[in-house]
Amino acid sequence: MNNKPSVGKRALSFLGDNLVPIMFIIICAVCIPVSGFSASYLINEIVTRMGRNIFLILCLLIPIMSGMGLNFGMTLGAMAGEIALILVSDWQIWGIPGVVLAMIVSIPIALLLGFFCGKLLNMSKGREMITSYIISFFFNGLYQLLVLYMMGPIIPIKHSSIKLPRGYGIRNTVSLLNMRHCLDDALAITVGGVKIPVLTFVLIGLLCLFTVWFRKTKLGQDMRAVGQDMDVARDAGINVEKTRIISIVMSTVLAGFGMIIYLQNMGNIATYSSHSQIGMFCIAALLVGGASVDKASIGNVFLGVILFHTMFIVAPSAGAKITGDSMIGEYFRVFVSYAIITIALVMYETKKRKMKSRLGLQLQADQAAEEAAGKAGAQG
Amino acid sequence: MNDNTLQPKSFGERLREGIASFGLPRLIIAAFLLLLFIAAPFVGANFLTQISNVVNRFSWNAILVLAMVPMIHSGCGLNFGLPLGIISGLLGGTISIELGFTGAMSFVMAVVIATPFAIVLGAGYGWLLNKIKGGEMMIATYVGFSSVSFMCMMWLLLPYHSPTMVWGFAGKGLRTTISLEGFYDKVLANFLPINIGNLSIPTGTLLFFAVLAFAMWAFLHTKTGTAMTAVGSNPTFAKAAGVNVDKMRLLSVVLSTWLAAVGILVYEQGFGFIQLYMAPFYMALPAVSAILIGGASVNKASIANVIIGTFLFQGIVTMTPTVMNSMIHMDMSEVIRVIASQGMILYALTRKTEGGKK
Amino acid sequence: MKKKTSSRGILFKVAAILLLLIIAAVMFVIGRGHTVYIDNKSIDYNGETYKAYNRVNVYVNGERLAKLGARERGKSVNIGQEFKMTIEVTREKGDEAETLEDLTFKLPYSWDGIVINVPAYLSNLPQEVWMTEFVAQTTEAPAEEEVNTDELDEFTLGDF
Repeated sequence: MNNKPSVGKRALSFLGDNLVPIMFIIICAVCIPVSGFSASYLINEIVTRMGRNIFLILCLLIPIMSGMGLNFGMTLGAMAGEIALILVSDWQIWGIPGVVLAMIVSIPIALLLGFFCGKLLNMSKGREMITSYIISFFFNGLYQLLVLYMMGPIIPIKHSSIKLPRGYGIRNTVSLLNMRHCLDDALAITVGGVKIPVLTFVLIGLLCLFTVWFRKTKLGQDMRAVGQDMDVARDAGINVEKTRIISIVMSTVLAGFGMIIYLQNMGNIATYSSHSQIGMFCIAALLVGGASVDKASIGNVFLGVILFHTMFIVAPSAGAKITGDSMIGEYFRVFVSYAIITIALVMYETKKRKMKSRLGLQLQADQAAEEAAGKAGAQG
Repeated sequence: MNDNTLQPKSFGERLREGIASFGLPRLIIAAFLLLLFIAAPFVGANFLTQISNVVNRFSWNAILVLAMVPMIHSGCGLNFGLPLGIISGLLGGTISIELGFTGAMSFVMAVVIATPFAIVLGAGYGWLLNKIKGGEMMIATYVGFSSVSFMCMMWLLLPYHSPTMVWGFAGKGLRTTISLEGFYDKVLANFLPINIGNLSIPTGTLLFFAVLAFAMWAFLHTKTGTAMTAVGSNPTFAKAAGVNVDKMRLLSVVLSTWLAAVGILVYEQGFGFIQLYMAPFYMALPAVSAILIGGASVNKASIANVIIGTFLFQGIVTMTPTVMNSMIHMDMSEVIRVIASQGMILYALTRKTEGGKK
Repeated sequence: MKKKTSSRGILFKVAAILLLLIIAAVMFVIGRGHTVYIDNKSIDYNGETYKAYNRVNVYVNGERLAKLGARERGKSVNIGQEFKMTIEVTREKGDEAETLEDLTFKLPYSWDGIVINVPAYLSNLPQEVWMTEFVAQTTEAPAEEEVNTDELDEFTLGDF
């Protein structure tokens, strides 16, 4: 008899839980016809961008699992990837060997940066996100110090195509022409006019499998326990601090790999800006896929990339067609990215507070019951 | 019951605590600035010019830093949502010019027009922050970002027509930078200015800041002000004492937003230009790090923190390029500024917060 | 028991690091890229002039890379330490084209650009004559580049 209201309620809660993806589907549904892009162009673009970005976004899953929220510190991994690529392109290692070498070189850098990031986040429990956000700025300063002043005199850079004419520091853009698309083009197949970068997708698939497998390992279980409740986990004998650091380090190393995959597709490094927005876009894409600060799945990543990039591709042209100004669409997509993150954060915090107050009421009730029982016992 | 266990501390302990509370990074930054001042004459920089520069930059920025104070007091943390207030100020400034006000009057009207925007936006922002207690800083950051990128579209779409502000060829859409010549350029700075040789002090701007700072100090000592501080330091206690916590927090956010609006107008009158579009984007970060350098923490701030912090921060920003450039012929000032200011914020965030929060 | 597992853990880590280092070393060898320039130009050596050929067709990996007339230069990018090409040479106008299959060259590791002079090579001159390092001629003064570290700059136009 109460079947009907429960269906309604369930539908409502489904809407509430998936508010962000639904909003996005509506935006895309409106913008796609307006933009006037052909279906084949859109699909081609989206497939390319999936190959380019999914690896990067997947690296966000592990910190979410361990309860550290959205890891804005993934920028650090991106920096590690960029440093490695700059070095490798100065050593003139090309093609897939260049990509593999860059990944290997990025590992120690990412380990170090991730370790620092994890240490700092352990010192600021409860506000990891804002801290990781500031960490990304702080390390951007250090990155500039390294790339702008130390590359040349301290870290040898040979080629003048990379080095600034003044003799030290790296140019604004480093060309990766000899590495461009080397992963994407290897084993690529074309289906109905759509180029599918098979090797890149294989790498993504491997990371997905790894993530699924990792959840089931001892360490993965520990991370989930830490994410659920640090105190309980500590009582259970888990080294909470160490587990959290490992989770951030893993995320940072994977972000480094992801950045290398991303840049081999782009074909050049914007030395001082490639990494600065990457964290924001990745997080926005993940949230668009229906993830929240404390829960995210591989499905969220894929859905998010598809929806976010559809919006990203069509918004400028749709904006230009509607308002007559090409900049409107550009600003619109930036605005949407930020608004999505804002909404997701607000939803997460309100949910957390509701849970907390419910828990508080429950505790109060329990305490009252206990006291009553105690009194009854004393009287008896 | 346990209150009696507090024991008088020895002198050594207190000294160590004093240094600890002052903070090592703060010490380093102060020492660095001192070094810059000492080095300045040796590299051929005129000492008085340097002082004037620092004081000028101080006068532009001090109110933006002051805007941090109310929200820190009420326990809302560092106001990373400062751009929201800045946008109110920008709306005030542009509308005042659009309506045809010039000279000093345009400044007064800018403040007047900005006020309702700041109150409305601040109230909405405060309402939101009350919904998400505990997660203020991250959400504040993104409220700021969203509002700036939203306004980017609005600057293009709103029906502005004043030829001094819109793009010449299109006849619509505001320019990225708007010159304030003939409007409120230097209106405060040119009030009773002191000019002796190389030394020039913008007395008016400093006075304006002093008035606001004094008002803030006085406000914090009224009944409402102390209630606000109580909310910040111990919300449970404040609630028990009959203070409406949400109302106090809302008030502090509105105050902070309004101060940011006035702050950006004062900044513009000193700088001489209105900067629109993405310009307000990262403006919260220098203000946040300035107040932290001045000795504030995530939940404690005073007017003295504002003054010291702004002076130290702007001192470094203005002095490093000149001194460093002539010393090592390498302009590392930008990198130093980023590392110092972000490092300071990071330092504050990684301290354990004393008192009520968590 | 516990000690055993931890020492095994260290062993595993060392092995992993070694493996990565070995892979890295291999990548250094097989991934080194060179730009190879193939010249069909006259060259003087020991007072003798070896004249450019009428036409040289260069094939790399079964594809025609360049069709070189006299005094022309072809360019190939090559990954690895070995460069293989097949050339069809027409010595004088009207001559029969002769095909030289799979000419293999070992490329010096430290040279980014390498020039191979075909007439000199086919005349069996010493290696330092037909294989030289390519040095880019920079005639224009290096223009100073303004470094832009402003995060906002690429922001609105940024792609993802």
